[in-house]
Amino acid sequence: MAIPSDAELDTLIRARLALVGVDLDQLPETADPATGSPTRAAAMESLRTFLAGPKVNGVRQGGRPAALSFWTPPATGADALAKAQQAAPPLLYPSITEAWTEEGR
Amino acid sequence: MSREYSRRVFLAQTSAAAGAAALVASPAKAGGRPLAPSLPDVDVRKAALDDPTEATLAEAAALIRARKLKPTTLVEAHLARIDAFEPTYKAFNAVTRDAALAAAKAQDRRPTGVLAGIPLCVKDNYFTKGVATTANSFVFAGFVPDEDATAVSRLTSAGGIVLGKGQMGPLATTRATTPNGVVTTVNAWTPTNIATDPGGSSTGPATAVAGRLATSAIGTQTGGSIILPANQQNLTGLKPTMGRTSLYGIIPLSFTRDHSGPIARDALDAAIMLTVMSGPDEKDPRTQGLPDLPDLVRAATPVLRKGKPKMRRTTVVGVPADYLTGSAATLRKDFLAVLAGIEGIRLVDIAYPDDWALLTGTFNDARLAERTEPFRPYLQQDLKLFGVSVLSWLQGLLLSGDEWITAQRAKAHLIREVLDGPLDRCDVVLQTSVVPFDILGLPEIGFPIGFNASGVPVGAILGGQPYEEDRLLEVAAAYQAATDWHLRRPVDPPQAGAAARAFAAPLVLTAEEAAAQSA
Repeated sequence: MAIPSDAELDTLIRARLALVGVDLDQLPETADPATGSPTRAAAMESLRTFLAGPKVNGVRQGGRPAALSFWTPPATGADALAKAQQAAPPLLYPSITEAWTEEGR
Repeated sequence: MSREYSRRVFLAQTSAAAGAAALVASPAKAGGRPLAPSLPDVDVRKAALDDPTEATLAEAAALIRARKLKPTTLVEAHLARIDAFEPTYKAFNAVTRDAALAAAKAQDRRPTGVLAGIPLCVKDNYFTKGVATTANSFVFAGFVPDEDATAVSRLTSAGGIVLGKGQMGPLATTRATTPNGVVTTVNAWTPTNIATDPGGSSTGPATAVAGRLATSAIGTQTGGSIILPANQQNLTGLKPTMGRTSLYGIIPLSFTRDHSGPIARDALDAAIMLTVMSGPDEKDPRTQGLPDLPDLVRAATPVLRKGKPKMRRTTVVGVPADYLTGSAATLRKDFLAVLAGIEGIRLVDIAYPDDWALLTGTFNDARLAERTEPFRPYLQQDLKLFGVSVLSWLQGLLLSGDEWITAQRAKAHLIREVLDGPLDRCDVVLQTSVVPFDILGLPEIGFPIGFNASGVPVGAILGGQPYEEDRLLEVAAAYQAATDWHLRRPVDPPQAGAAARAFAAPLVLTAEEAAAQSA
């Protein structure tokens, strides 16, 4: 699948922010030393880059969500994906879980 | 295999109980709350006798116990340095002079604990009752908590005296700046060069301790902000295992990665501070049901044989393959030579798992959704409240829930890789980045190992097994018994008062720089 165009990314960003009640137009159009806030244009470019990666020779290279989305816990064999579902259950606090579950204490 | 960590602890405990050879003797346990460490009567150096702001926490406490130093004298000495040098350092967001003096006088009359009369700097993201807590952000302008954070309460209940709130990166992201990005706090070792990196967001507490404006301090770490300022300012920082200290009353950056801990002058001071701070807290379920705190003060008290340090327990130190690369390679090589010469330490080479860079680098971005979530009402109210830091909060809104859950699965995979991999071959492991053990909630200690060609301190980072902060302290204390880096203090700024801060131009972070440097 092709990486979305900047126009498509802009639509996605504005729609997503609007759905959760965040208005990018609160940011200034020009630099604002008093608050240090980035301009709307700078914020949009930052978010495009976050989503789809920086441009190299005019082409975005893939962003952060994709890097997370294509990882699954390692599993091998004919039914690797089915096995991967069962591996590495999510842990918010792995060190605490280690203490709560470890044997021998 | 999946329970190798358990097997190691189990074997250590069993062998100690059976009176086996002391090679793997179990550390002493200090038990539950309230913890009141028994402080050793340390020899007080002449420099500390001559100037109480030079004293370590342990030295100052020894002098106060022996009635050779009054808390008011100690506090006043630090306030005098604040008067003289704070205009240059800008280590504090607020100085609570009157309250500190009143507390010191109360401690003169009736010392209340092991920290009786010890002047402390508290990072400005810890709630302090009746004192503004801003996290150095427009978001919390005017916020005055009606209670102390648990850690602050424990420190003051033990007699510690809060001199003020430490300057920090806005919402604990970058080095300390005003909310609009103007860099405030300098590295105490280069007070005339604002460009020198003073470390992470706990900059103010670190500069306060390094500049002798406070005896000790507490910071928070989500992406290195206890260890890195300690490394950059010749201090000893101890980021405990997740859950060892309560996070109640600390403005969050990431609920799964925030840690609180001491930034101190040496391993013993860090041990004392952490002992007082730690333990179960009914207001923070993450602190419940965890292993007892080992006797950290004992762990940080070096053992000497014929004047040379030796380890309490044989300790295997893992050295990663990339450790002797980069600008600090020579200092690190010298550091390893000293470690290798300490009786009871053995160095082993360790390798990273194949997917190390992905799971500790790319997956670091999962933290962004965690910082966004508790601040969503403010994002909806006015983006300008986030000042120079807003970009990473907006980025967090663009990660999906399934991607965040994937990152939590990656943590489960990663901790098994670490505990069954490198940490199966060693007791502690040297680090070249703080991020992996921040993601996993594993303990780390940072301590000084020398200075670079520009005179800026360089430190080592040592990571450990879950809830084995004692092992980290044993190594750091033995190293500090063999070296004197930790005893060196920066010279005072060349001029006192506001006139001293005469940089060629203010240093201002842009929003893009703030996002790139964000913890």
